[in-house]
Amino acid sequence: MKLHPILAALRKHKAGTVLIALQIALTLAIVCNAVFIIGQRVERVNRPTGLDESNLFLVSQQWVGAPSADNADGVEKLDAMQREDLAALRQLPGVAAVAPTNSLPLLNSSWTGSVSHKPGADLGGKGDIRTAYYFTDEQALSTLGLRLVAGRNFNAGDVQHQGFRDQRDRPVAIISKALADKLFPDGNAVGKVMYSDGSNAPTTIIGVVARLQIPSIGSWGSSFAWYSTLIPTRLDGGFARYAVRTKPGQLDAVMRAVAPALYKVTPMRVLDDDSVKPFSEIRAKAYRADIGMAVLMGVICLILLCVTAAGIVGLTSFWVGQRHRQIGVRRALGARKIDILHYFQIENLLIAGVGVVLGVVLAVGLNMWLMTHYEMTRIPLLYVVTGVLAMLAIGQGAVFVPARRASNVPPVEATRAA
Amino acid sequence: MLKMTHLSKVYRTEVVETYALRDFNIDVKEGEFVAVTGPSGSGKTTFLTIAGLLETFSGGEYHLDGIEVSNLNDNARSKIRNEKIGFIFQAFNLIPDLNVFDNIEVPLRYRGMKAAERKQRIMDSLERVGLASRAKHYPAELSGGQQQRVAIARALAGSPRLLLADEPTGNLDTQMARGVMELLEDIHREGATIVMVTHDPELAARAQRNVHIIDGQVVELSEDPRFHTVHAAAGDAHA
Amino acid sequence: MFSYYLELALRSLRRSPGLTLLMVLTIGFGVAASMTSWSVFRAVSGDPIPWKSSKLFVPQIDNWGPKGRSSDGEPPNAMDYADAIALMRDHRAKRQSAMYQISPSIVPAQADKHPFNVSGHVVYGEFFPMLDVPFKYGSGWSADDDTNRAMVAVISSKLNQKLFGGVSSVGKTVNIEGKDYRVVGVLDDWNPQPRFYDVVNTGGFSTTGDDVFLPFLTAIQEAMSNDGNTNCNEVPKESGFVGLQHSECVWVAYMAELDDVAAATAYRNYLNDYARAQQQAGRFGWAPNSRLRDLPAWLDSQHVVPSDTRVSLLVALGLLLVCLVNTVGLLLAKFLRRSGEIGVRRALGAPRAAIYSQFLTEAGIVGAAGGVLGLLLTVAGVASVGWVLPKDIAALARLDVSLLLLTMLVAVVATMLAGLYPTFRASRVQPAWQLKSN
Repeated sequence: MKLHPILAALRKHKAGTVLIALQIALTLAIVCNAVFIIGQRVERVNRPTGLDESNLFLVSQQWVGAPSADNADGVEKLDAMQREDLAALRQLPGVAAVAPTNSLPLLNSSWTGSVSHKPGADLGGKGDIRTAYYFTDEQALSTLGLRLVAGRNFNAGDVQHQGFRDQRDRPVAIISKALADKLFPDGNAVGKVMYSDGSNAPTTIIGVVARLQIPSIGSWGSSFAWYSTLIPTRLDGGFARYAVRTKPGQLDAVMRAVAPALYKVTPMRVLDDDSVKPFSEIRAKAYRADIGMAVLMGVICLILLCVTAAGIVGLTSFWVGQRHRQIGVRRALGARKIDILHYFQIENLLIAGVGVVLGVVLAVGLNMWLMTHYEMTRIPLLYVVTGVLAMLAIGQGAVFVPARRASNVPPVEATRAA
Repeated sequence: MLKMTHLSKVYRTEVVETYALRDFNIDVKEGEFVAVTGPSGSGKTTFLTIAGLLETFSGGEYHLDGIEVSNLNDNARSKIRNEKIGFIFQAFNLIPDLNVFDNIEVPLRYRGMKAAERKQRIMDSLERVGLASRAKHYPAELSGGQQQRVAIARALAGSPRLLLADEPTGNLDTQMARGVMELLEDIHREGATIVMVTHDPELAARAQRNVHIIDGQVVELSEDPRFHTVHAAAGDAHA
Repeated sequence: MFSYYLELALRSLRRSPGLTLLMVLTIGFGVAASMTSWSVFRAVSGDPIPWKSSKLFVPQIDNWGPKGRSSDGEPPNAMDYADAIALMRDHRAKRQSAMYQISPSIVPAQADKHPFNVSGHVVYGEFFPMLDVPFKYGSGWSADDDTNRAMVAVISSKLNQKLFGGVSSVGKTVNIEGKDYRVVGVLDDWNPQPRFYDVVNTGGFSTTGDDVFLPFLTAIQEAMSNDGNTNCNEVPKESGFVGLQHSECVWVAYMAELDDVAAATAYRNYLNDYARAQQQAGRFGWAPNSRLRDLPAWLDSQHVVPSDTRVSLLVALGLLLVCLVNTVGLLLAKFLRRSGEIGVRRALGAPRAAIYSQFLTEAGIVGAAGGVLGLLLTVAGVASVGWVLPKDIAALARLDVSLLLLTMLVAVVATMLAGLYPTFRASRVQPAWQLKSN
């Protein structure tokens, strides 16, 4: 098969050729970037928090007319109320463990600070590592299903309490492995000390958990997404959260039992529909936008590919119709069916080839533009290469039907009047 | 009616210049029936496309119905084609998507005629070619002869001053050709000016006057048109 | 003549139903995707108070210095307590209000009802006239109520419905965080999106409106702590809510009304003078780095329009572009397939303008049909954004007449634009004598 007659024919159909190539180029550019966005979102949504997320739910509640957390007396009263709540929840049938906590991964409500090797370090200064704190108690690891990879768990003696706006020394902490590796690249963080939030009092690292995500999934937290610190302290305020792990299969039953049990402790509190949430719901809410974006991009890609394939079918059909007689002449002069089929296939390959070359340029350009204006990273080559192959395949798939019709034009067509 | 003086038509490509017509002179009087003959490639079709204002020419003058047409713009040329000229094509050139009625209506539409008048004219001209009963038929449903009659009806419907016919019987068998030819003769007798291009000497013989073209020029008229048939037959491989 | 072109167009489209359907689907999907994205974008990028946004300003004071600035040199996007109070005391704008977000509990009067949570803001009395907040009953509170730390409240009509069955509650009391407040005003429906007076804490959008508004100084006196973001560049030296008020932590939002450019300039100078005074007093160790943005600029600087929404719109417009390129190709094929007809028409006296009219009419009809399909798909699209977008934002995407008209307009205009080149090509077909075929 020689290219010359194909090129000559394409020159005659300049506009159509340019349009198909342009369409393939634009489609490739958009689809590459859209699929890249989908890939990023899927990766984001699928990353594990470090928690054992099944059989876990969160209670967020608020006392009404609670004592002030601004004086020592009030703090003690609030702490007593919180301990009463914890005891009530721990007694519920079907409950495996309960821990107070200021937040959970994906909850988007966080207390962040920084840790350092040196005492009294400037916040945000050099050598300062940002971290998110989980204020909790000795049941945290079992409740959240965190895996301890070094050191020991908190014990009841480690647990302190404080007003939620107060500052208090933090003698011990368990940190995530990512933070441990960052602080002590040589390993063996257990037993070492760090200083949190510019404090002069040391915090001894007593344990390291395999993985624990920070509450925020926003871009501002992406630089320290895995740097978590567990502090064995109950925070006392008018507001408290409890993480509850149930025995397998008892999630719903326990969730239903929570409100009556807590109202029994004290009715003067706010506990509404939003107060008791399974972790699956927290996860769904956190990633709703990401999943939505992925779905949206997927739908758009699908429409794009269909439109482009349909466009190729349409224009090629037109060309086949236009060249009916010419095809008949070729057949009469001895071209086999397969030759005609190949003719249109190679023609499409040429056009699509030009299209994808242009498309790669556009795809990279679009990606660079998105990088400067939005939170995007550089598109990996794999996406572009896959996109190119996919576009060529779609082109071949789309051209097959009209090309086969062309190959079925009988030689006798040559003798018919135009 | 139709007067060309020293008219020339040059086709230029990058490599060569080809004269399709050179120093071409012809004068067709009102009410004449002229047959233009000549071998293939002699320029007779070029002559007809220029006469019908379908193409421009390179030099000389062309007066149509007293109007010098070389300086007219596309719109004015379209208007003249629409109002003064009727075309009859060898390949009929009916629009396949339109039925007989709608085909004949096309030129009348561009004249902005009222619906009632259009209908009257269409029915009259269909009556004239004897196809009044076929108004709702599509071209594909008609025989070649019938299609050419429709084409003639379309040409007549606008009451043109000049009828241009290009091998009007070229695609027809002998019997159908005879019918079409008789129709043209009738139309001529009623006063129409007809210029017909043909290579068929028998057909040419039925015209009032013959003009012979060779190599883009009108050659002297022969008393006996059959004298030229030898050349025509030899040089013409017309399909 | 138009009816003739219409008839010809319909005839032609009917003749190749497959190609026609393809074009209509292409236009329909392209238009619907972009219109659905547009409806979301329009909702989140709209001006929440168009008649006044150019007169509303958000001041920023740099109380953190170079170390606390973001990479582009921006000072904090909220104020610390001391600066907010100082600005309120100086009272240099026509109207102004410091504010912060609260999430207090409400105790219903009926003993059998459980307490519940509401969201709200503590503001100064000028907040209501400054933002043209509509009242159903009563009004806001006075400047005296502010200074006297009066126990008054403005509540939403929703809360009024819930607590008082919808009748005017002005003069009645409502128990907020265990204290009785006297209701002075009930709002009419008011839930501007974005929540422009405090975008830092709401992220811009929220399906539930604020239910209570309390006087700023009263809330401070009652130690009603803030529910919004608190950002600190250092750990507060004192503990508790009072410690927060004495710290350099930023958590107070601020808005001022300035009527014209001169007033804005004067206020800008005032902010710098204030910062310079703080510098001279030794509190700030740096030159003034104040900002004063009007509302639209402020919303823009806070990236209130989610970048996902922008990217979606962009990608959807890209889709529309591809659909149009596709339509150009299909129309070109469709029109040039009829070269013969065009040639005959030209020979029979059709001027170029007639060819243009005929084929643009045909493109227009394809566009209109695509528009109708686009309308249906847009309706479906807007109805289903709730499935894929965050609730707060999806709830804002609305169908209205202007969106539907725009959908139709975009479909028809875009398709006719797409039809321009094919029509141009069609009009260039020479009037035919002997129809040639390739």
